[in-house]
Amino acid sequence: MKKLDPTVKKETLYIALWTVILSAVMQSVFLIIGLWKPQVLFGNLVSAAAAVLNFLLMGVTVQNAVGKDEKDASQLMRFSQSMRMLMQLALCAVGVFFFDPVASILPLFFPRAAIIFRPMFDKRMGGEEKSE
Amino acid sequence: MELAIGIILGCCALGAGMAMIAGIGPGIGEGNAVAKACEAIGRQPESRGAVTTTMLMGCAVAETTGLYALVIAILLIFLAPGRLVNILVETMNTLG
Repeated sequence: MKKLDPTVKKETLYIALWTVILSAVMQSVFLIIGLWKPQVLFGNLVSAAAAVLNFLLMGVTVQNAVGKDEKDASQLMRFSQSMRMLMQLALCAVGVFFFDPVASILPLFFPRAAIIFRPMFDKRMGGEEKSE
Repeated sequence: MELAIGIILGCCALGAGMAMIAGIGPGIGEGNAVAKACEAIGRQPESRGAVTTTMLMGCAVAETTGLYALVIAILLIFLAPGRLVNILVETMNTLG
């Protein structure tokens, strides 16, 4: 098995960290508005795991695609995207069907939120990160 | 009554299928992005780390469009039919 690229590892950890923070915020909001129940927690766990796993698999695919020629890379990425979408559909369906629908859907967008927050934190930390 | 329920279920399934057409776009977009990144890395191998980071973030953003479609499809398949059938039954009961 190929070793995970340090860039992919770093970005996945960043996304996972933000997913955990935003999940905690979501759980707090559910608690405050009095709608918290165990299903909310389990739905959140399933969906957050799906979101992070999706990002990790995307990173692994990108890592593998970078070594290939243009056409193969493009095909590999399309195939991977379809498979990851199916995986997310299956995991999210479990969350919506057995747990709380809102808590199962919202965490899918946490990686996107993490990317939106990124430039703000990069500026605060002193500009762009240096490339490897 | 059965016909109305059948139409509701059919329309929900059709809507979910149509929503998932939007899932094709991110796949094509990501494929093109990665192809161009391969080209860039081939030209400047030393920029591999920076290109990979930017590409990963770009792919994640592009994928969100597909996720919107996925969410709509999930709602139409799992939540909408039950609610719509309930509304139909209540309306029928109210009307007698």
